[in-house]
Amino acid sequence: MTAPAGVAEQDSLHEEEALGKAYDARLLRRLWRYVAPYRAQIALTLLLVAPMFALELAPAWIVKTGLDQVIAPSIGVSGALGAGGAASTAAPAVPATVDGLAHGPASIPPLVWLGILYLVAMLASSGLQFWQTLVMAKTGQLAMRTLRSEVFAHISRLHLGFFDRMPVGRLVTRATNDVENVAEMFSAGVVALLTDLLKMVGFAVALFLVNAKLALVTFLVVPLLAGAAIVFRLRIREAFRSVRVRIARINAMLQETVTGMKVVQLFSRESRNMRDFAELNAAHRDAWVMSIRYDAALFAVVEMAGSLSVAIIIWYGTGVAAAGVLYVFIDWMRRFFLPLRDLSAKYSVMQSSMASCERIFQLLDTEPAVRDATPRRRPPAAAAAGPRGAVALENVWFAYNGEDWILKDVSLRVEPGEKVALVGATGAGKTSIIKLLTRFYDVSRGRVLLDGVDLRELPQEELRHRVALVQQDVFLFSGSVAENISLGRSDIDLAAIERAARAVEAHGFISALPEGYQTNLHERGANFSGGQRQLLSFARALAHGADVLVLDEATSSIDTETEALIQQALRVLWKGKTALVIAHRLSTIQDVDRIHVLHHGRIVESGRHEELLARRGVYHRLYRLQYETQKTVAGAPATGGKG
Amino acid sequence: MTGAAQPLPAVAAAGPGLRRLLSYLGRHRVAYGVWALLTLSYVAAFVAVPILIGHAVAAAESKLPDAEVARRCLWIVLVTLLRAGLRYYSRVLVFNLARDIEYELRNDLFAHLQRLPQSFYLRWRTGDLMSRCVNDLGSVRLLLGPGVLNLLQTPILFLAVFAAMLTLDVKLGLLVLLPYPAFLLIARSFGRAMHRTNLRLQEGLASLSNSLQETISGIAVVKAYAMESANQVRFEAVNRDLYRRQIAVVRVFAGLGPVLSLLPAAAMWLVLLVGGHEVSGGKMTLADFFTFSMYVYELTFPTFLMGFVVALVQRGAASMQRLDEVLCVEPSIADRADLVPLERLRGEIEFRQLEFHYPSAGRAPALRDVSLHVPAGSTLGIVGPVGSGKTTLASVIPRLYEVPDGRVFLDGVDVNRIPLATLRTNIAMVPQDSFLFSMSLAENIGYGLPALDRERVVAAAERAQLAKDVADLPHGYDTLVGERGVMLSGGQRQRTALARALALRPGILILDDALSSVDAETEAEIQRGLGEVFAGRTVILISHRISTVRDADQIIVLDDGRIVERGSHDELLAGGGLYARLASQQALEAELEGEEAVA
Repeated sequence: MTAPAGVAEQDSLHEEEALGKAYDARLLRRLWRYVAPYRAQIALTLLLVAPMFALELAPAWIVKTGLDQVIAPSIGVSGALGAGGAASTAAPAVPATVDGLAHGPASIPPLVWLGILYLVAMLASSGLQFWQTLVMAKTGQLAMRTLRSEVFAHISRLHLGFFDRMPVGRLVTRATNDVENVAEMFSAGVVALLTDLLKMVGFAVALFLVNAKLALVTFLVVPLLAGAAIVFRLRIREAFRSVRVRIARINAMLQETVTGMKVVQLFSRESRNMRDFAELNAAHRDAWVMSIRYDAALFAVVEMAGSLSVAIIIWYGTGVAAAGVLYVFIDWMRRFFLPLRDLSAKYSVMQSSMASCERIFQLLDTEPAVRDATPRRRPPAAAAAGPRGAVALENVWFAYNGEDWILKDVSLRVEPGEKVALVGATGAGKTSIIKLLTRFYDVSRGRVLLDGVDLRELPQEELRHRVALVQQDVFLFSGSVAENISLGRSDIDLAAIERAARAVEAHGFISALPEGYQTNLHERGANFSGGQRQLLSFARALAHGADVLVLDEATSSIDTETEALIQQALRVLWKGKTALVIAHRLSTIQDVDRIHVLHHGRIVESGRHEELLARRGVYHRLYRLQYETQKTVAGAPATGGKG
Repeated sequence: MTGAAQPLPAVAAAGPGLRRLLSYLGRHRVAYGVWALLTLSYVAAFVAVPILIGHAVAAAESKLPDAEVARRCLWIVLVTLLRAGLRYYSRVLVFNLARDIEYELRNDLFAHLQRLPQSFYLRWRTGDLMSRCVNDLGSVRLLLGPGVLNLLQTPILFLAVFAAMLTLDVKLGLLVLLPYPAFLLIARSFGRAMHRTNLRLQEGLASLSNSLQETISGIAVVKAYAMESANQVRFEAVNRDLYRRQIAVVRVFAGLGPVLSLLPAAAMWLVLLVGGHEVSGGKMTLADFFTFSMYVYELTFPTFLMGFVVALVQRGAASMQRLDEVLCVEPSIADRADLVPLERLRGEIEFRQLEFHYPSAGRAPALRDVSLHVPAGSTLGIVGPVGSGKTTLASVIPRLYEVPDGRVFLDGVDVNRIPLATLRTNIAMVPQDSFLFSMSLAENIGYGLPALDRERVVAAAERAQLAKDVADLPHGYDTLVGERGVMLSGGQRQRTALARALALRPGILILDDALSSVDAETEAEIQRGLGEVFAGRTVILISHRISTVRDADQIIVLDDGRIVERGSHDELLAGGGLYARLASQQALEAELEGEEAVA
């Protein structure tokens, strides 16, 4: 089997290394689809920005009012600090109602009134903030829930070939970490950035309204800051990229080592693994150094700019503004700078959100190579009316990769109820035929028919209810034994499960388990023997009541005694059904009606066992080999080996 | 947190985890000492700025010349620059320390996982382990970076600011202090809630990732049985559950910020009311009032931050606890003090009344009363029904599972006293499932060699009848085999696993039904080649095919964990027991085929 090797592997590795922009309109537009159902909530949170901003302005304004109109006059300072004293106490641009509110009823001392206003403003601001955060987070998580479900559904829809190239861990990351990263965009990314931006503009406007001259001078530090922010931001981006790539490599190695730990230990690979791992780990650690440096620099510069602006306000403002105005300036300038302080953090969040978003959409954009025909065509009435379970391959060509033909012009028919075996050496193409019959892959040329209908025109769900695959390597899911037989189909009740298990002789060992059918299985089904697992897969197939069975080497790794048991079970299983058996061991195909011999992707011989032997071709050779091995075991003389 | 009268349950539960973390911190104590000094200097500069601002305002207030005001403003600039520098270095230092410790911790985790026995991997899910090594380690990193930074810096900052305020005005200083003890209360109750909700969130994430992992691993079955929609329903349930857990966390988080911001607000309120009154009454200068409000203002952000730091620490502690749970598992299979320094094994194996249980409770012993002697250089065949203990018996030889002392001996030495390195380099096992790594074919074959030895790899591949397949692969021996070797067929995987074992040139070779996916023709070829390999080695052949074991010097038949028969092929046939029955069944099949052939 030569599946797409090197190139694809490399591609998927590099995919992890691509790190996008922090803002990508295309991605955001697409993401919007998931958020759109909650647009009312989004609008609400954005509308809340206005009152929240007003409430942020309030505290300093209240203190200013206290300073300029109550405290300063009482100690005989005219309100303005410094020699000039020319500035007015209240900026003319501020609406009179705001100042009016600041004075309050005459019965309450002005300072106490201001205190009350201050408290009310703070409480209201806190309450609104809580509410906004909660609504935003809920919206984000609801949208992400939808996205996660869609990722899961999409993964289930993808054709099997996709999973050959995509490591499990990477797919799990898409639905967990990547979705979490996108969710961050809602709690700390795009909305926070938008809110911050609105507020910064708001504070700037408010400062200009209060004292334009002072504002102009104070904002001199802004270009310095913006320059630093842009430079560091770009550098952080670069550093962050290599961090992401390296952590992905670390986790991939970790996953693989944990999964293959038995081999690791058996081959005492621990110290070499440790060396490789420590190397990856160190590369990751070192990748952080630059990122930390720029991040800390940005932090320091922002803090410095804040304090510099205070110095400017006092140095310049003493001549032109009242003490209260200075207070307002200091407070609002700080609030203006506050968002910049963790701008780099938010930028990182956006960046990793976008990168995750891109990867998720990339996965969602991977078209399943195998999909239902649109519009769904119902099978022609004639075909549906006839006996169910006729399988045919018509001039089938198949390659995983370009022109590397695995199957070359294969044609065969299996009549309803007929049992057919496919034999051939490893790599002859037997497994590929299974993959085509179950439509894990589509044919490259030719057709595969079920009751005369091309598989590609049959809804996959219907196909899979009608064709059951019994695999050699039985995969058991966590959950109970019963669930592993019904596989989530609600119409298979416990009675049906037990009936199927009894029929294939699996009831005995199942009921011997501590909790019978309700016994939970470990991951990897470690507590069943190979034979038991095989019988479970028979029960599975029987319970699902398909009319076509595809048995993949179903009896090849079983001891003789169990094999007899399984042969017995097999007869029960395939009674009245169409069956296609792929087997290495000739003894497992005693009962079949017809045998096809595959050799290098072509059917070279077909017929009954005796006919094929008489032909003295490939089958005869395969058979002799098997026979020679076994006759020596029995110590019996070779009587019929030569046919 | 430490101020609370009783230790938080969360912290108490996280005790051993935090103790372990402290030992990592201890290794960097000099660096942390330097960092503490930097932090103290930073705090000093931090406290100085409002004083300098007050100073400058005082100059303006008392109408000093502009030059004096400018001079005092220049001081603000200078100290601010110094403060920025200190902040930069302290931040860089502590974050880099966090990286170093994360690095050490991750290395230690990896090393520990590699030391843990197979019984551990029967109990722990891969998804769970991965979630601990990825998500929990991430939380611990946050605890070490921003967590540790603020845990030290913020309390010192608070103390310094309060001290400065008290020197300015004792009465107002004490008043302003009033709201802050509430911080402990808030932190305590929020901390508990965060710990609880976060723990539940982690569980939710783990179960979601398990559910995914399983679906993907079993995708062929999922598709073959059209389980997609039933699976989707199951997933939606897990997903919905995760959403609830996430919102529970958010609710706590969203509340923390606003509640905490009320503390400095209350303090500022007191400054405005009481301070304003004092200034009006002439008991306080306007400049001092300014300085006071600057201080309260400076505390706003740290208070706010501290709340999240508490959350960070809580989460980090919970995560550290989860890491500790893994790190605490004793590697029960390790070199012991009473080691016998063997380097080579001749290959003599002896079992003395071995009884073996798998760790999961309530199961019958997998092996009972097994006594057996395998001379060095001889071949042992093990046959028996499925689940009779064949694999288990073979697995205890390289000490994949724990066995009691005095039961298993190699070269006359108790297996528990032989260095693990000796065991694993002298014993090669080809397990039933041929797990391959996502590296090149050559690296997979040379997996157990100290360094990639091309010659040995090629020789082993030839012995395992893999060489002819290699020629067909796109890049020959350098072909990447994909995750778990998906680029190869089942038979090719098994032969690669066989080659991997042969490349070791081991003293003891164990083949556990190693050729089940190989077709008969290739198997015969392999067996011919193996005859040479077997010479001079102790070989254990596990099979359900009599033909595989018939030439063995000694054959045992296992049934339900006991040796029910033993002897040579001929003796066992003559004995007329289970072995003879198996043989005659297989012979019957052969005869049947033969008769049909004749017909």
